[in-house]
Amino acid sequence: MPRADKLRELLARGDWDGVAALLGNLDAPVAGDVLLSVPPETQQRLFRSLPVEAAARIAATLPYYDAYVLLHSRPLEEMRAVVDRMEIGEQLRFFDELPEALWQQFMEELGEPRGVARVAEAPSAPGGLPPVPPVIEARQIEKSYGRTGGGQVQVIAPVNLSIEPGLIIALLGPSGSGKSTLLRMLSGLAPPSKGEVRWHGEPMSDSRPNVGIVFQSFALFPWLTVVENVEVPLLARGVPRRERRHRASRVLDSVGLTGFAGAYPKELSGGMKQRVGLARALAVEPEVLFMDEPFSALDVLTAENLRGELMELWLDRKMPIASIFLVTHNIEEAVLLADRVLVLGRNPAKIRADFRIKTKHPRDHNSPEFLLYVDYVYKLLTQPSLEARPPSIAPGAKPPYQMLPHARRGAIAGFLELLKDRGGKDDLYRVADELRMEVDDLLPIVEAAALLSFVKSARGDVAITAAGKAFAEADIHDRKHLFHETALANITLLQQMNSALASKSDHAMPLEFFRDLLQQHFSEKETERQIETALNWGRYAGILTYYPADDRLTLYDASVSADSEAEGS
Amino acid sequence: MTRYWAGPVGTQPDIDLSPAALPKYALFSVARIAIAYAISLAVTVVYAYIAAHNARAERVMIPLLDTLQSIPVLSFLPPVMVAMVGLFPARQVGVELGSILLIFTGQVWNMTFSVYSSIKNIPRELREAAEVYRLSWWQQLLQLELPYSAIGLVWNSMMSVAGGWFFLMACEMFVLGNRDLRLPGLGSYLQTAANAGDTRAIVWGLAAMIAVIVLLDQLIWRPVIAWSEKFKFEQVEAFHTPRSPVLDLVRHSRLLSLAGRVSVGPAREALTLHFAKTRASGRARIRSGLAKWVARALAAAGAAAMVYAVARMVMGLGAASRAGFAEIFVGAGATFLRVELVLLLAALWTIPAGVYIGLRPRLAAIAQPVAQIAASVPATALFPIVLLGLIRLGGGLGIGSIVLLLLGTQWYLLFNIIAGASAIPTDLKEVCDVYRLNRAGRWRKLLLPGIFPFLITGFVTASGGAWNASIVAEYFRFHGRTFSTTGLGAVISRATDRGDFAVLLGATVTMAVVVVTVNRLVWRRLYALASTRFRLEV
Repeated sequence: MPRADKLRELLARGDWDGVAALLGNLDAPVAGDVLLSVPPETQQRLFRSLPVEAAARIAATLPYYDAYVLLHSRPLEEMRAVVDRMEIGEQLRFFDELPEALWQQFMEELGEPRGVARVAEAPSAPGGLPPVPPVIEARQIEKSYGRTGGGQVQVIAPVNLSIEPGLIIALLGPSGSGKSTLLRMLSGLAPPSKGEVRWHGEPMSDSRPNVGIVFQSFALFPWLTVVENVEVPLLARGVPRRERRHRASRVLDSVGLTGFAGAYPKELSGGMKQRVGLARALAVEPEVLFMDEPFSALDVLTAENLRGELMELWLDRKMPIASIFLVTHNIEEAVLLADRVLVLGRNPAKIRADFRIKTKHPRDHNSPEFLLYVDYVYKLLTQPSLEARPPSIAPGAKPPYQMLPHARRGAIAGFLELLKDRGGKDDLYRVADELRMEVDDLLPIVEAAALLSFVKSARGDVAITAAGKAFAEADIHDRKHLFHETALANITLLQQMNSALASKSDHAMPLEFFRDLLQQHFSEKETERQIETALNWGRYAGILTYYPADDRLTLYDASVSADSEAEGS
Repeated sequence: MTRYWAGPVGTQPDIDLSPAALPKYALFSVARIAIAYAISLAVTVVYAYIAAHNARAERVMIPLLDTLQSIPVLSFLPPVMVAMVGLFPARQVGVELGSILLIFTGQVWNMTFSVYSSIKNIPRELREAAEVYRLSWWQQLLQLELPYSAIGLVWNSMMSVAGGWFFLMACEMFVLGNRDLRLPGLGSYLQTAANAGDTRAIVWGLAAMIAVIVLLDQLIWRPVIAWSEKFKFEQVEAFHTPRSPVLDLVRHSRLLSLAGRVSVGPAREALTLHFAKTRASGRARIRSGLAKWVARALAAAGAAAMVYAVARMVMGLGAASRAGFAEIFVGAGATFLRVELVLLLAALWTIPAGVYIGLRPRLAAIAQPVAQIAASVPATALFPIVLLGLIRLGGGLGIGSIVLLLLGTQWYLLFNIIAGASAIPTDLKEVCDVYRLNRAGRWRKLLLPGIFPFLITGFVTASGGAWNASIVAEYFRFHGRTFSTTGLGAVISRATDRGDFAVLLGATVTMAVVVVTVNRLVWRRLYALASTRFRLEV
């Protein structure tokens, strides 16, 4: 092995740069083997002198413990640069292998301002070109709603965001996280409570943004035919009749609706309706095409087909669109379509991650790289500590009120049984895949089970706890008992309800009281959902009884409850 | 017709009782209804549009609408007629305009309310689509707001026109002080026939009345309902859609479609393009400044008018004597009891009958349209005939008024109950069979709760109708004699006869207050209960 000899010779001479140059020229796995064959101090000395590019390539081939130590042998800034240079797939594999405690620490070291958010690559112009001016730019926009008792509930924390030309940007987030609100602020439909949205550098309110929106519910006018629907925005721009018809037919052709011009929307299937929605949006040749969960109302196969056709239009540049901004709760959809993914956190919403996906289109659902991205997003979504501990929490600031995920207790029980049958531990996206459930439907159940300490979930994995196992194996009566215990131990709202009711001599309170309490922390709609979930759990756990007729809660009393609850509901 | 309108007021125009005159009278009556409806439609769109788009105006306009809806229209009859005859003292057109104005006030409010709430309830995403593509206000009205309101408007128009017949029959022939005002029409024909005791003429008149109603139903309402199907806001095509041969005929007529293409089409196109361009060029903003001043001036004028009206009302009330107030008070109590008794009597026969029919789909298919026709024959047209019978039997208006009120109100109950009973799901009926519930148990556990929401809807309509009808049912001039019984309606009618405007005003306000109060205290609560606890969700 002449190279190994040369290496030894250079090492003996102490020519670190020479060695580094040599390593940099080797294939990464070979260089890794060579590197590991020398003593640890030498390894670190060598790794430090490698150029960032080479260091990233080589580190990616090493076992995580070696890579972790070597990465830390470089100064913090350099370490970040090295990690940033790693191929996304390799990077994800590396993170995946780290034990949880280390991972957490490491993420923090990679730290602000980029955060784990930018483990991939900061969204800037590729290849060092000067940055392209964004079409839409949001500066510190936020949204809050007035509470009934005065004061404000913030639903979207200050967000900076720009939509650059040439990209498909996907905004991912759990339901109720404010995705749609953000989309409406960016498209000029709703003004932000604070901050500013700019259209080509001008304030949105002064300009006439040329955008199109595709809605989840299609939002077609049922009394107009397909072609009349597509003509609506053209008519609004004063396009005369003949040209209008001509342009509308052309767009209809491009989305595969030739021959359906005279049909009414209700005669069409869901997929066809969404094509009309797309055609209507494309008719005005918008610069930015907003899509608000465009495929959610469709069945799996239709959605898949439409996604493919959308990509075809986009890649063949058949659409005169600069960028697409897609709101979705479907992780695979985001990874399949987007060049840039934003992940939104909840209550209040803020951008938790913002990364590029550089895999070439069309993407393969089953490629390892694809799966790694999907897994990565799952990790982000199931790691609440990432958003719950922003570094700049002012001392004395109120910690956020515990938010109940909206899962019904029957679904929680079913999930625990399934998890137990699968050996007690699994990858979340595999569970979701098996159940054919959207992550959006599954996550609240997992979060609820975790809150009740029935499972532990971390980084996309979920594992059943002893309590969870006991619950899954118990009979109806014992289950109720176990649920009662864990609910009172873990759920703030139920604790508060329980102690408030117990302290009253008649053991009764108006529900309004708790509604007011929750409205200090949540919007009106969210408050209702919190109450609904709490009642669902609290009634099942035998903590309380609810009488809808007079909107009253009482402490559960086994001796009377059977009659009165039947009458009350 | 023009010559007739411009002619002098006929204090005693002769109503020709020969059947050959009926088509002419029917035409006159239909013309009045049609004109009043056209005005109602225009007012509805303007009023509802402003109320739905201007939050400040909305705060005044909607409570006002709510109040106007509960004012008994028939007590407007004397002041409106006096004003109109005063405006055109020597012309028949004054009386005609008065009757049209009355019908208009009777039918406009529920139409307005329907359009207003439709516009307010347009789904968010449709609104957003309109906004993001920057539709002009005109295009939004034409392509979004009116189509979305169409179905509710059509149903409410049908109800309004039926109500219009009710008032028309009452105001085609009435006495104002010493003047006996008559308008040639079906209503005056029937009254004259009953007055003369001419049975043959009565039968002819009734036949003509029913023929007109059936014809209107077939030629106007069926086609309109079938046409309005396309405005149904549903994403899936309905399994069963209403059809109308007349509509098919109109749709396939080349002449009509050509006429549409050369007249309506280009006009609409030109207008829409015009508004699109105004919007694009930003001229709308300048004009909205002017519009703001106009709106302010209008609002100020409206407020002044209202203050003036209230002041006049208070002054008018002050003029009423103590005895007048006592009369109003006693009358209100009597009419209240009478109305509740009528509702009870109506419920007693319609609940079993309605449920019986509703549970048998084949029978319901026959009975439903018959009940609809029966309900749309205005009770006021039947009053003289019923009275004639009562007088021959020797009964007074005490019982007579109850029969008359029953005539007007029972139908609402009946077809609501039929609809409710036929909506009870089969599996619930089967549960009752499986567990062998006896008759009483079945009524208590399934049938009554099942029809409850429909029953309440029927009661609300029937109750309001009964109060209004009491004005004509409790006091009647017939054969030169005056029949009356104790009641608020009688107080109103008598005050009209005597020209005692203070009592008339007091009684009218009292009736409005009672109707609103009963609605708020009883029906709304029951309605809320019906729509939460007793809703059968499928």
